[in-house]
Amino acid sequence: MQFTQTPPPPLHELTSFPSNINPMNKNQMLRTRQWPGFQTSKSLGSFGDANCMEQLLVHCANAIENNDATLAQQILWVLNNIAPSDGDSNQRLACGFLRALIARAARKGTCKILTGAVDNVHITTHKFSIIELTGFVDLTPWHRFGFTAANATILDAVEGYSIIHIIDFSLTHCMQIPTLIDAIANRLEGPPLVKLTVAGATEDVPPMLDLSYEELGMKLVNFARSRNIILEFRVIPSTSSNGFASFIEQLKVQNLVPANNGIEALVINCHMMLHYIPEETLNPFSFNNTSVSSLRTMFLKAIRSLDPTIVVLVDEDADFTSNNLVCRLRAAFNYLWIPYDTVDTFLPHGSKQRQWYEADMNWKIENVIAEEGVERVERLEPKSRWVQRMRHAGFRGGLFGEEAVMEVKNMLDEHAAGWGLKREEEDLVLTWKGHNVVFATAWIPS
Amino acid sequence: MASSISTKTSSTGGSSMHTAKPPPHHSNDAVLYNTTELSTWVDSLLTEFNQPASHFPSTLNLPYSINPDSVNAWTEPNTTSFYETQQIIEEDSSIRLVHVMMSCADSVQRGNLSLAGALIEELHILLSRVNSEFGFGKVAGYFIDALSRRVFKPLERSHGSAHENEILYHHFYEACPYLKFAHFTSNQAILEAFDGHDCVHVIDFNLMQGLQWPALIQALALRPNGPPILRLTGIGPPSLDGHDPLRETGLRLAHLARSVNVRFAFRGVAASRIDDVKSWMLQVDPKESVAVNCIMQLHKLLDDPSRIDNVLKLIHSLEPKIVTLVEQDTNHNQPEFSDRFREALYYYSTMFDSLEACKGPQKWLAEIHVQREICNVVCCIEMHETLANWKEMMDKNGFTPVYLGTNAYKQASMLLTVFSAQGGYSVDESEGCLKLGWHNRPLIAASAWRPNSKM
Repeated sequence: MQFTQTPPPPLHELTSFPSNINPMNKNQMLRTRQWPGFQTSKSLGSFGDANCMEQLLVHCANAIENNDATLAQQILWVLNNIAPSDGDSNQRLACGFLRALIARAARKGTCKILTGAVDNVHITTHKFSIIELTGFVDLTPWHRFGFTAANATILDAVEGYSIIHIIDFSLTHCMQIPTLIDAIANRLEGPPLVKLTVAGATEDVPPMLDLSYEELGMKLVNFARSRNIILEFRVIPSTSSNGFASFIEQLKVQNLVPANNGIEALVINCHMMLHYIPEETLNPFSFNNTSVSSLRTMFLKAIRSLDPTIVVLVDEDADFTSNNLVCRLRAAFNYLWIPYDTVDTFLPHGSKQRQWYEADMNWKIENVIAEEGVERVERLEPKSRWVQRMRHAGFRGGLFGEEAVMEVKNMLDEHAAGWGLKREEEDLVLTWKGHNVVFATAWIPS
Repeated sequence: MASSISTKTSSTGGSSMHTAKPPPHHSNDAVLYNTTELSTWVDSLLTEFNQPASHFPSTLNLPYSINPDSVNAWTEPNTTSFYETQQIIEEDSSIRLVHVMMSCADSVQRGNLSLAGALIEELHILLSRVNSEFGFGKVAGYFIDALSRRVFKPLERSHGSAHENEILYHHFYEACPYLKFAHFTSNQAILEAFDGHDCVHVIDFNLMQGLQWPALIQALALRPNGPPILRLTGIGPPSLDGHDPLRETGLRLAHLARSVNVRFAFRGVAASRIDDVKSWMLQVDPKESVAVNCIMQLHKLLDDPSRIDNVLKLIHSLEPKIVTLVEQDTNHNQPEFSDRFREALYYYSTMFDSLEACKGPQKWLAEIHVQREICNVVCCIEMHETLANWKEMMDKNGFTPVYLGTNAYKQASMLLTVFSAQGGYSVDESEGCLKLGWHNRPLIAASAWRPNSKM
């Protein structure tokens, strides 16, 4: 009978242990897996936990990429226990990533996700009615920030024009427009003719709407009429996956954008939509046999060629374009904690709306982590990159006036204290607890 | 795999009749027969020992015979399809292989070792006619080897060195989900049982490189209210070659526990038989909450049920919060050898089927692990019992079931989802126990227990 006992050895005695027990059997070496431990400080409240979760998620992603099935499975086992779908905001965030990693790893084995493996095998995102979506969008500055800043600066830019043509590339299905129409209606001069053209992009990205763009357009036209504005609404079906090429084509063919003549203002409003256009990390498409140029670049050149009066570009300030899964995971984890953190301030725990909100978030996470190639559509780029692109395409930054800033500040006052506003050179940035969330930039042709 | 034993009852019926040759009693010289002669020869051979039957094997009335209906039951419509491309003659030979193997088992049971030996020679010939690289041919090869051993070298035990066994075990662990399922499910039960306890002690009846424990240590580290103080006692065979694998594993786990801030202490107990372990060796502190982890160990004591009672009595005396038990779910313990053999043939065919579907560069080592087990079962030095019987034993020894919850089920499903093979594996819950199987044939069962308050 033998006993071996290990009292915890003093730290200076720790060395790494050989991974093969018998060096003679080289062909049959035991690969004793080193658990990818990490330096954890003692739990520092929520930040400590979030760090641990991130590190575990990173280790898991590495294991999956290296086809280390056993390690991936073990880490997923741990994560399943520490990231319940109904826990605190860090846990729910981690749970979203956990689901996404399971989805990704499931593809490695050609196995469908077994029922029971995750809650809700397919993320069912809610289809919003207009009322629901309006209410939803109003709950938080996430979109309101961009709307407010954009509308204020658009109003300035279109002063004096009798026709205002707005091309709206927006994720939120024209939610910005009613407020803009209202503001236009309140101008001192006579009401202009307003044309609204939307891409009516058909990809299914959340938030999803339960009515068609035609129906939506009719509602907008009626609303405008109630404000004494004549609104012409037009949908040109198009898709971001080819850089809205057919949209731009149609604009030109139908002669919808006459030359800049002092009568018609052309406003191009981009609200969190442009990041769906493929950029350079996705096999670059060569258009018209030109040098390798991404669809994103092509698109910006195309709208420059329309000679717009003003372009507003609002998007989320993060970088999801890395081809390296771990980099992407880190970037996504260190950005998407924000919506999970903010949701506590505006949606009660267990409410249906919170479920919808987080389902949309989970959709995004799964897209970034589990998808590749053209299916991976969430291709956020940070503000600095977009600024570069716009300059390269022939635009220069416009200033947001004091009025715009004032309006944004007033809007933020209606929301939780953690939200803030930052000016970065010519641009405005929405912050949460000091972290950049959404940027708003305004451009005129240079 | 099992589908290759299809219901071609007419396949051997078409053979023309040959005059039966007198059977050689000592068939040490390998004589090559063509297949039709062989089957007739075998059948006629067997009719000597059985009631008179017609020449056609499909109607042979032999006590052991696999009747077409039971063969039917083996056919799985969804099994991998490459068997469908085998030629008729190969399927033909597979069926004959089964018939002859069963004949051989029957001979062994009756004590007629010379006949058994002759049949083994024939089996080798039959085997050469099938593809023994994969599919049923491979399993048949292992069973024939095992039968060979049983008949010719019954006293020789198929044991590798402890080191070899560790390597095979490790590869079996990596290649397919069975052991991972055992670990994940047990860990889930242990983690949940330890909820709210700050001083915990895990007793592992087969430490074996401690593959089970890193994940549990990590999960304990990240408990919402902080990790408990963790003790791990690992039991394993004594080391004979100067290494101390228990200690090495313990040190490795201690290192890991430190890196995740879990206060940890390890103790190794070397015992060649688990019923040699006594409670004073485990040094259980009354203040700590104990979990006993018993994975694929109790079946080693099936040669003498009182040994099992002794171990369970010991475990009971430790007053554990939870006892996790995982065993093969099959009866390889029947008194009649041919029954045991048939059951094993079915069980390991299913298991090999599932292994075929797994990926992995060193899968062949996992297969050797299973091969050794086949040998041990056929040579009657290893027995297995069904979950139902284990439950009876636990109940008899004063244990109540602890139902494995939805979390355990979810974890098992997740395990089968990621990196998994074409959806052939299935996990089923039955009366609080979880079973992992291939194409709905359960192969391994996990359950959890706690001692009754009164024994």
